[in-house]
Amino acid sequence: MNDAALMLLLVAFISSFALALSLYVIAGRISPGGVEKRSERTIPYACGEDPPPIGETRINCERFFIFTIFFMIFDVFAFMIAISYSAPIYLPMLYSLITVMAIILLLISERTLKM
Amino acid sequence: MPQNTLIILLQLLIFPGFLFLIMLAFIYEWIDRKIVARIQNRYGPLYTGPSGILQPLADFIKLLSKEDVVPDSADRLIFTLTPIFIFALPLTALLLIPIVDEKAIIRFDGDLIFLMFILTLIAINIILSGYGSASPYSIIGGVRSALQIIGYEIPAAISIIGPALSAGSLSISGIVEWQISRGMWTILLQPLGFGIIITCILAELDFVPFDIPEAETEIVAGWKTEFSGRKLALLRIGKDMEILLASALIASLYLGGAQYVAFIPPIIAFLIKTIAILFLLSLLRAIFARFRIDQTVSGMWRYLMIPAIIQIMLICMGIGK
Repeated sequence: MNDAALMLLLVAFISSFALALSLYVIAGRISPGGVEKRSERTIPYACGEDPPPIGETRINCERFFIFTIFFMIFDVFAFMIAISYSAPIYLPMLYSLITVMAIILLLISERTLKM
Repeated sequence: MPQNTLIILLQLLIFPGFLFLIMLAFIYEWIDRKIVARIQNRYGPLYTGPSGILQPLADFIKLLSKEDVVPDSADRLIFTLTPIFIFALPLTALLLIPIVDEKAIIRFDGDLIFLMFILTLIAINIILSGYGSASPYSIIGGVRSALQIIGYEIPAAISIIGPALSAGSLSISGIVEWQISRGMWTILLQPLGFGIIITCILAELDFVPFDIPEAETEIVAGWKTEFSGRKLALLRIGKDMEILLASALIASLYLGGAQYVAFIPPIIAFLIKTIAILFLLSLLRAIFARFRIDQTVSGMWRYLMIPAIIQIMLICMGIGK
């Protein structure tokens, strides 16, 4: 039963991908083409100004670093909760309590670090 | 056996498969645009078909037949593949959700996890398409999308898992069946989880309080800036199907999904419930203003994580089962 469902899932994904690809190809046939490369029309959009070089587009993500680390750990927590419905009750409760503590710590540290 | 295969193929391709779902996605986009327009005191789509119902389809065909410009700096492979994936992934995920009766076309233990995986994969495709366009606006949009995931992903996952915990099944069809046999919707048992999932889905769909990755007034169209023609058409229909997927998912997990209500057939009940969810999402989208990115990330951790975990603890203690 499960094998058949997984097979069907594969078929469904392949056929939806094929549908998207065929739409893409058919649209390529009917739409006007022939934009020459390296022309004015193919420079990145920048409201008529000269776009900055790609290397200079930097985004400061440092302040989100601590959230990223918590995100990585908590993804595992969510998965453990998901498979815990047959486990004894104290196990998910314990995990949840530890997690709440961790979040309170995160919020306190965020406030003290002035992020 | 060959007859059986034929029936499954017909289900997959026509009803309730691809053709039905794509048409439904167009109609849902129309409903969403119409609701938002009426709240903002506009008319919305009006001319194509009866009260403009064919407008999304017309937009789609127009975009398909337009010229497709690829910027010089773009990574061509990523730039071509991401729109196709953004179309194909929600379409696959929609087949996991029960529509005509309480059993979906594809159902297996753990399809809820698979659906969460697909939702994350769509977001990763958005990041990749921003990176692949290599335009300043697109890269900023992609990075913002990545930062937004850090905020909404975990509360969304935990509140999707809530109904699964009380149903004792990790399959969406199983959760719908449990609600029918229990005779009660999960929203009445876990209202906290419902509020959290609505907020997180708004962020997932880039709807207005959380439309940071494509903020028009700041970064043109965000990660979508460089897409045109057929690629933009695929992105837009992918977005429509994501809206349909989100409302179908919430309706199935929290409102009982496709079930007999008195004499109403399941498909009608399903449509009514999804349109109700869509109405809620459009209403919230129309009445809010945009948050800043740091407000979104730290606000999600501050105000959504702890209630989500409290909801899980309540379920463990037997309240809301």
